[in-house]
Amino acid sequence: MRNNKLLITFLLIITMLLAACTESTNVDGNSSSSPDSSSGANSQGPLVIGFEADATTLLANHDVNYTTDTLIRNIYDPLIDRDSQTAEFVPVLAEEWKNIDEKTWYLKLKEGIKFHNGADFNANAVKFSIDYILDESNGSFYRSRWANVEEVVVLSDYEVEIHTSVPFPSLIQRIAEDLLIIEPGYVEEVGIEKASSKPVGTGAYTFVEWSRDNHLKLKAFEDYWQGKPEIEEVEFRIIPEFSARMSAFMSGEIYLFKNIPVDSVKQFESNEVKQISSSRINYLALSNLVDGPLKDVKVRQAINHAINANELLETVLSGYGSRITGPLSQLNADYAETKEYDYDPDLAVKLIEEAGYSPEELTLTLDTPSGRYPMDSHIAQAIASQLQSIGINVEVRVNEWGQHLEKIQKRETGDMYILGWGPAFDAQSTIENLFTLEAPYSSFYQENIEKKIKETNQSFDQEARYAGYAELQQQLVEQAAWVPLWQQADLYAVKSSLNFSPRVDEKMNVFEMSWN
Amino acid sequence: MLDFIIKRLIQVVIVVFLALTAVFFLIRLSGDPTTLFLPPDAPREQIEEYRELLGFNRPLYVQYTDFMKGAIQGDFGESLRSGDDALGLVLERMPATFQLAFSALLLSIIIAIPLGVLSAYKRNTLFDKASVGITVIGQAIPSFWFGLILIFIFAAQLKFFPSSGGGSVNHMVLPVITLALYSVSRFVRFTRSAMLDVLNKDYIRTTKAAGTPTSTLIMKYALKNSLIPILTLIALDLGVLLGGAVITEAVFSWPGVGRLLHQSLMNRDFPIVLAGVFIIAIIYAVINFITDILYAYVNPQIRVK
Repeated sequence: MRNNKLLITFLLIITMLLAACTESTNVDGNSSSSPDSSSGANSQGPLVIGFEADATTLLANHDVNYTTDTLIRNIYDPLIDRDSQTAEFVPVLAEEWKNIDEKTWYLKLKEGIKFHNGADFNANAVKFSIDYILDESNGSFYRSRWANVEEVVVLSDYEVEIHTSVPFPSLIQRIAEDLLIIEPGYVEEVGIEKASSKPVGTGAYTFVEWSRDNHLKLKAFEDYWQGKPEIEEVEFRIIPEFSARMSAFMSGEIYLFKNIPVDSVKQFESNEVKQISSSRINYLALSNLVDGPLKDVKVRQAINHAINANELLETVLSGYGSRITGPLSQLNADYAETKEYDYDPDLAVKLIEEAGYSPEELTLTLDTPSGRYPMDSHIAQAIASQLQSIGINVEVRVNEWGQHLEKIQKRETGDMYILGWGPAFDAQSTIENLFTLEAPYSSFYQENIEKKIKETNQSFDQEARYAGYAELQQQLVEQAAWVPLWQQADLYAVKSSLNFSPRVDEKMNVFEMSWN
Repeated sequence: MLDFIIKRLIQVVIVVFLALTAVFFLIRLSGDPTTLFLPPDAPREQIEEYRELLGFNRPLYVQYTDFMKGAIQGDFGESLRSGDDALGLVLERMPATFQLAFSALLLSIIIAIPLGVLSAYKRNTLFDKASVGITVIGQAIPSFWFGLILIFIFAAQLKFFPSSGGGSVNHMVLPVITLALYSVSRFVRFTRSAMLDVLNKDYIRTTKAAGTPTSTLIMKYALKNSLIPILTLIALDLGVLLGGAVITEAVFSWPGVGRLLHQSLMNRDFPIVLAGVFIIAIIYAVINFITDILYAYVNPQIRVK
């Protein structure tokens, strides 16, 4: 009896302590951070979006990083954007653009657009933003992509010319994917450090508050040139753990987050999951740069026949992805249809024997990251078991992501490795960066292919470019340069009160969203 | 006494130096950060250029001596990603981590000491067995799992508390309970055995025989005498709580030093990681140092040794 009394007293003390903690006394007087107690999302409050990681800086044109870019695209506008569904170029701050000659681009800018601080958007802002990337002392990680730009010349308040040191047909793509416009006057006045934590742009949302690794709060820009955004306030909340993000979503604290793992989709209501085929592709690289049987095209073709990618897609990825058969996805502007290597283990064995081996004497290594791409290490294990079923021994090596990347760059991987590439909307940024000797990410090289790539890239004639890339795609597939797997599916959790359509380029532009 | 303090201070410096040295070389095993910062299509000469800009092309021993020279002056360099002062970023996060660690410690003490005392006093009863059983489970449960279970029940299902983030008392409840779980279990077990030791002493028996009321016996004679080892454990645990909250902070998205370190490790932002390790090593060493001094003050035999 006495024991029970003590136990009850103890439990009471704990309950009281917990109750004391539940009073909504806020440490920083911040009331918006309390959870939404209603089961659905409340359309009156701020739109809260869950993110895995925080931006490293809020200054545009500095850090090449998906998170940073996605968050700040709500504050800054680009000159040119991509259509959210077709990925075609659409004008934003630029009105039109054209080639003057092979090394000169001309851009005409829109007039009457204001920055958040009231300053006018003009050609100087464009020059300042590009010069920020080019200036070595700023240490912008975009500079490597812009190295061919020689000079930005301001022709008038709303006209600029960009001069490049070599023909640079993909400059428009660089402008669309990398460049956001900064307000020169503001940066010069407050300095780069302050501008990196309190940004000013022409975007749909103005900066309110940034608590690193905690939240970024923005509010609608009343004078936005495309009209005032429908959603008044936005908060990007940083929640690194998927389970915590899911809980926050279930409790109504957040309305939207990206990257539901494919094996967790079932835990969400079906109307709360939206998917889109990403422009990011996954592939199994077959290296012909390391000594071994993969130097022989027949062995590479055999591996293509021995792997049943459709089955992997259906079983390991639960169908979340779209099969690709060549180096480009259908989203890609220069996509050409290529033949598919059918799943045919008998043919695979035959090809290996023709190459002078027997499957049993082949021992291949397969490097894979873990957690970088959907189910990556599981896919690697499944591929290994498919290859083992025709007798090939496969040793799977799971690498930490940084290590995996470094191994690939230093050509220290084994015979095969899993990698992804994207967002990729044009052939040059995929094929040139994967299949030349300098480019490390396919570990496949043939002199004639590199020569063809160089020829095609120099051309400004769209038809000739397309024909060149179509031929390259065929050649790469015939040579079985890799095993094309699939386009990833981007899976988003979205509350029904939010009107949101996923974009092919994975961006989250709140201006395009509204309350239902 | 002065000799003793000087010796211990030298030890603090050595501990911090060794911790920094070990971490400096260990994080370099994780790969070259330049490759992660640059876009994947960066040409090789550009990668080399950035390697030079960030100083990664120098021999490792040169990087190490330069780093140590800076560290001695409190200069850990700038974040490789954002260019902000690394030590500044770490110090900015300290208040949040302190808030979490001290709250967890306080909660642990409030729960664990009465529980440990009662367990000892009621040795071998159902209450004792239950509390020992619970503490064993408490020590065995991994904190990230316990944290996720709390989030699932109290945030996702019951919606009592927010699942993540920082800023209000509401946000603190679940991470504090998670963090306190391990300390509570340790404290209960330790208090219980320390109390049992004292309760078996002759003077307690004599006091009891003299008719002293139970409460006075426990509070005045037994607990007071068993407090010294318990206080040592509490001090040591504070170090663990301040430095070891990485996982709890990550699970609850608590914006403290642990989160920053975790994120910086993933981003290969070496200066921030090293600045964080420096601060945590100092806290740990200083807490140990103070405990040693207090011990020596209380027990002169230690000084002589």
